[in-house]
Amino acid sequence: MATGFLTDTTVCIGCKACEVACKQWNQLPADGYELKGHSYDNTGHLSGTTWRHVAFIENPKKQRRLSGDVDLIALAGDVTETLPGNAELDGLGRWNFMSDVCKHCVEAPCQQACPTGAIIRNEFDNVYIQPDVCNGCGYCVPACPYGVITQVPNDGRAFKCTLCYDRQRDGLEPACAKACPTNSIMFGDVEDLKVIAAERVATLHSKGYDNAFVYGTPEIGGTGGIGGNHSKFILMDEPETYNLPAHPFMPQDKVKGAFVASSIAAAALAAVVALTFRD
Amino acid sequence: MSDISSDTLAAGRGDQNGKVETSHHPKTDPKQDKKGYYGIPPIKHAHWTWQIPVYFWLGGITAGVALFTAVSKLVGKEDPAVTRLGRYFSVLSMMLSPVLLIWDLGRPERFLNMMRIWKLRSPMSNQSWSLVAYGNVSGILMLKQAAEDGFMGKGALPRLVARLVPDRVLQVLALPLALFIGSNTGTLLSATSVPIWARNWMLMGPTFLASGVSTGLSFISLVLNLLRTGRRDTHHTLQRAEKVMLLAETGLIVASLARMSRWGKPLYTGKVGALFIGGTLLGGIAAPLALLFSGNETRNKSMLTSVLVLLGGLAFRFALVLAGRKSADDPQAYFSFARGDNAPQPGDKI
Repeated sequence: MATGFLTDTTVCIGCKACEVACKQWNQLPADGYELKGHSYDNTGHLSGTTWRHVAFIENPKKQRRLSGDVDLIALAGDVTETLPGNAELDGLGRWNFMSDVCKHCVEAPCQQACPTGAIIRNEFDNVYIQPDVCNGCGYCVPACPYGVITQVPNDGRAFKCTLCYDRQRDGLEPACAKACPTNSIMFGDVEDLKVIAAERVATLHSKGYDNAFVYGTPEIGGTGGIGGNHSKFILMDEPETYNLPAHPFMPQDKVKGAFVASSIAAAALAAVVALTFRD
Repeated sequence: MSDISSDTLAAGRGDQNGKVETSHHPKTDPKQDKKGYYGIPPIKHAHWTWQIPVYFWLGGITAGVALFTAVSKLVGKEDPAVTRLGRYFSVLSMMLSPVLLIWDLGRPERFLNMMRIWKLRSPMSNQSWSLVAYGNVSGILMLKQAAEDGFMGKGALPRLVARLVPDRVLQVLALPLALFIGSNTGTLLSATSVPIWARNWMLMGPTFLASGVSTGLSFISLVLNLLRTGRRDTHHTLQRAEKVMLLAETGLIVASLARMSRWGKPLYTGKVGALFIGGTLLGGIAAPLALLFSGNETRNKSMLTSVLVLLGGLAFRFALVLAGRKSADDPQAYFSFARGDNAPQPGDKI
């Protein structure tokens, strides 16, 4: 059985309980008290010591350029956005939240890159780094199409989400999914989650949210060459808004082609050098 | 309205409007016109420090030296001075390269884990194994050279070693390994998510190899000149080969830049641009070519040419590794690369 996450960003409230639960359960060190200054998100991105990250995306529905003396209070009272079903929303802007995590690719580029075999697929079909094998070469870091995996400077090894391998072994759900108060993070069998995701997207479409879609399936959203993700997301905007690539690709797809090209070049260069020996 | 709000919202000050980022005026923030999340890179760059480009350089020189020595043997114009240099240098290089690579590991004491498995799809794994294989072959060849040079004293042992080591067979067998090491330094970069490297997957290996062979030829030429050794025709052949190889390298670099297209921007801008254009294109290719094609061959001119080519090759590797870092840190480069058919896809014809 393959297990995975389904992160429904439409019900995420940005409480960051998943970030905290992940840090606590996995005993991950702090990243420092860094204030990014652009939103309530001071984590910024996933790293070797942050395996869940809640993105705070400000999504202004109406783009307006204000000029002259503006009465902000009158403006706020005036501006509304019509939603499906004649509902109204403050049109000045709203939040999109997304709890980002390792995508646990079906064909993982980090695993392909790993020269030591430290990165494996475990019995739950999750991408797992064996910490006792990793020698910190760092080649998985630029291979990851999502910028998830990172080398931890003081430790030297690469780390990322284990999908709470230890908790799964004991029959528990991962810490982030357990802590999530709105069930934005769902954990379970990938096949079940696929059905849930399809149903949820259909519901959203029927309510008029036509831009909802599942990110991380080979069919929708596009994951060229990596065969989809075991951590799927329901998104409401184009992937780049969430700092995700639209069509991630398998970097190792061309290793064979590059070898053939290099062999031809090597033969040609050898022939050229041989010719220069002629008098 | 207070002065503060009129200041930030005043007409005619649109450029400064976005200094305060709130949902009230996000559109005026220039950052918001671009795709992404507050400009935070969506992928992580490689942590590699100076050891990696230096290793790439060393690997390229090794490939060039192996190519010249093996070909000279095959065409029957072997120069003992070149062969001796090639055999000792290969071993030295195969001792230095692992040191550089292990130095760069996060857990150097676990370097042997590279030998746990062999993964054909991982250029890093292939590289480790090719270094082991070539290092061992080089070691055996060096033993024969040492025996012939009298480093094992006189007696039965050096005679036995000289007779038992099939140097001709080993030299030819070692050649593909060395050429693989030289080209794989480029392939290793291309098999990543970094736009500037991945875009040019087909020509990374060949370009690194051509550059490596030209540095290797220059290295042989430089050492022979420094030691005032080597036959006259060897020097002449080296000069001719250097000319051709520099031209081949130029062609491959031009083709690479064309293939990188707009994702190659880091190579033209900033300090990396200065390093690449000044160090590699002008200093490492144009200047040596001008020297090679002008007037008579003199020892000093030849040595200057060799030094320029060697430094240009080093600059090339630093520039490409640093350009990859800039490319990975640029969200727009990655997002535009990972849309449409720009990135390599499984269904690609080439």
